[in-house]
Amino acid sequence: MAMKGFLAATYHVIRKDIVAELRTRQLTTTATVFGLLVVLTFAFSFVKTFADPRIVGRGALWIAFVFAGTVGVSETMAVEDENDALTGLLLAPVDRSAVYIGKVLSTTMFVLAVDLVTLGAAVVLLGYPIAATMVLPLVGVLAVAAFGFSAVGVVVATLTVRSGLGQLAIPILLVPLVVPVLLSGVELTAALASGAPTGGWLRVLAAYAGILFLAGLATFEFVVEE
Amino acid sequence: MNDNGSTTPPLRADRLEKSYGYFRAVDDVSFTIDRASTVGLFGPNGAGKTTLLRMLAGIVEPTRGRVLLNGVERTTDSHGSVGVLTHDSMLYDALTARENLRFHAQLHGVETVAERCETVLDTVGLSHRASHRPDEFSHGLRKRLSLARALIHDPDILLLDEPYAGLDRRSIETLSDILNGFADRTVVLATHDLDRGFERCTRALIIADGRLEADLATDSLSSTAFERTYEQAIGLTEARS
Repeated sequence: MAMKGFLAATYHVIRKDIVAELRTRQLTTTATVFGLLVVLTFAFSFVKTFADPRIVGRGALWIAFVFAGTVGVSETMAVEDENDALTGLLLAPVDRSAVYIGKVLSTTMFVLAVDLVTLGAAVVLLGYPIAATMVLPLVGVLAVAAFGFSAVGVVVATLTVRSGLGQLAIPILLVPLVVPVLLSGVELTAALASGAPTGGWLRVLAAYAGILFLAGLATFEFVVEE
Repeated sequence: MNDNGSTTPPLRADRLEKSYGYFRAVDDVSFTIDRASTVGLFGPNGAGKTTLLRMLAGIVEPTRGRVLLNGVERTTDSHGSVGVLTHDSMLYDALTARENLRFHAQLHGVETVAERCETVLDTVGLSHRASHRPDEFSHGLRKRLSLARALIHDPDILLLDEPYAGLDRRSIETLSDILNGFADRTVVLATHDLDRGFERCTRALIIADGRLEADLATDSLSSTAFERTYEQAIGLTEARS
């Protein structure tokens, strides 16, 4: 029964975020614009100087990932900060971990959606070669990376909201924490394109995303306190 | 007596204290609130009323002391027995009034969500605006929707922080009419509006500099006597500091 209530609360938080985002498109629009700007900048700056579009493509993809992800987690918590809606959420008799998981999963979905648009833009504008067999594994890598990024991003964004640091502090605190996610993401993208083994980096990415999630789960309850 | 035949008070503050660094916002405050009573927390700006109310609500963790709800120390699970109205609406501007209420009803485990939402919207007179978003509302309407949010799970205890702040006379009258229907609930009302607060409350707690300076039964007092006592309590504090 308790687990049912936990899952129901998680589902309601995710559903609320999706309904709100579908209505305003605030997060996805802003993050997509950032992502596309990165790809466009790469297209104008590097396409003629770099011989290998695979290098330019994955560079643009993962830089756009950081930009879009940072905007994504900032916006997802800005919604909770507005009108102190987060406090209203915490006044419900639900486990705060359910709120955290709900926020992480909804943010993951938004960040992943923006990443897929950016990936499409990289293919079109940068001529990033992507074989049909590579699409699903790459989407999987992006999904795990988005999950790890969101797991720590939600905690950092909540911390900045609750402490009054403001959204400007989010990238300063967040980016150093997601460097392993980026490194493994870039390496995995390269390995997928060249057909090299992916096992080692995949384990690093999954393990680090898992650690970020568990750390978030353990700390969210305290971070969210006023 | 409550439904279980117990005389346990619904709300008790036991030596509550809240410090922010060296600043003590609430200092060793204790009181017990009876069932179905309306208690006013009075005090000037910065007296500690909001911090005290937020501790009672479970929004702020006390540095020391505890809050007992129906004799049991409060936990996340006991949030269900308390409804809270603060300065902030705690509403999502991207969702409609009905969607906001539905979301909170679902989180509180309300069984008949749709029915309860319509009942509460009707109680606060917002049925005709249910499909509108809060950012389309005036301040008064937002306050009423926020009250609906606080009532959605039918709580025994209502904690209201400056409910009349920023409202025009007509909105105040409407809100007062709504609050008149809560005679069966335990209401704690933090305000610095002495007249309106005194009129509504059966008991007044005067807070100054984070301390409980006076605990008065309002039925045995005239409003003039209450104001005099209030000013003395504030003056006493000022003299001491």
